[in-house]
Amino acid sequence: MQETYEPKILAFLCNWCAYAGADLAGVSRFQYPPSIRVIRTMCSGRVDPFYVVEGLQNGYDGVFVFG
Amino acid sequence: MPVVKQLLDLAAVGSSRLQLHWVSAAEGQLFADYVTELSDLIGKLGPFKPADFKLELAAAATVLKSTRIRWLIGMDRQITERENVYHEKVDPETYQKLVSQAVVEEYQKGLILEAIGDKPQSVREMADKTGLPVYTVSLRLNDLEKAGQAQFQGFEGTTAKFVLMAA
Repeated sequence: MQETYEPKILAFLCNWCAYAGADLAGVSRFQYPPSIRVIRTMCSGRVDPFYVVEGLQNGYDGVFVFG
Repeated sequence: MPVVKQLLDLAAVGSSRLQLHWVSAAEGQLFADYVTELSDLIGKLGPFKPADFKLELAAAATVLKSTRIRWLIGMDRQITERENVYHEKVDPETYQKLVSQAVVEEYQKGLILEAIGDKPQSVREMADKTGLPVYTVSLRLNDLEKAGQAQFQGFEGTTAKFVLMAA
């Protein structure tokens, strides 16, 4: 498949779970696309529903919340 | 999150643009898999143009900031698992219905508030802008008037015009 379009995705990662998971993915050199922009939160419960809408308003193609 | 997903569907943005998944600190591979799979999914949906959804997103934002929805979401466990101040317990299904009904109403109100903007509008103009039926607009406008968020301004010819009230 020819990749011409790379989506811009906002990702909220929980400091204790997914952020460490992402770190592990990096350390273990698992390949994943460079489309996500990470915001580390102290807990995924910290992510207000409003942030999701705000992210979309600011032109992100998608929003991920990993906890 | 179900509320936000419902809102994104209402706004025709599509709920799959929001993804919530659980990844533990030990699951690096799972994280990589999720990102690969979901970026692909978002990539297939194509670029999102916020300019096309300005009204809808602003309305969704109003909903998520509204006291009614905040209260309903916050009281979820209290009402369905314990009891409310009248010692009544609501079963989760009824509660879900209640919330989604409230979300729809608040979303329509949000749309109307956005549509009125800074100049007086008639019900018909608002209906055209929001894509809602005229009847729905007048119902919600009624709610807004009761809540002191919008008011009748006067007639222009024979058409009634409405404006926003300063908060």
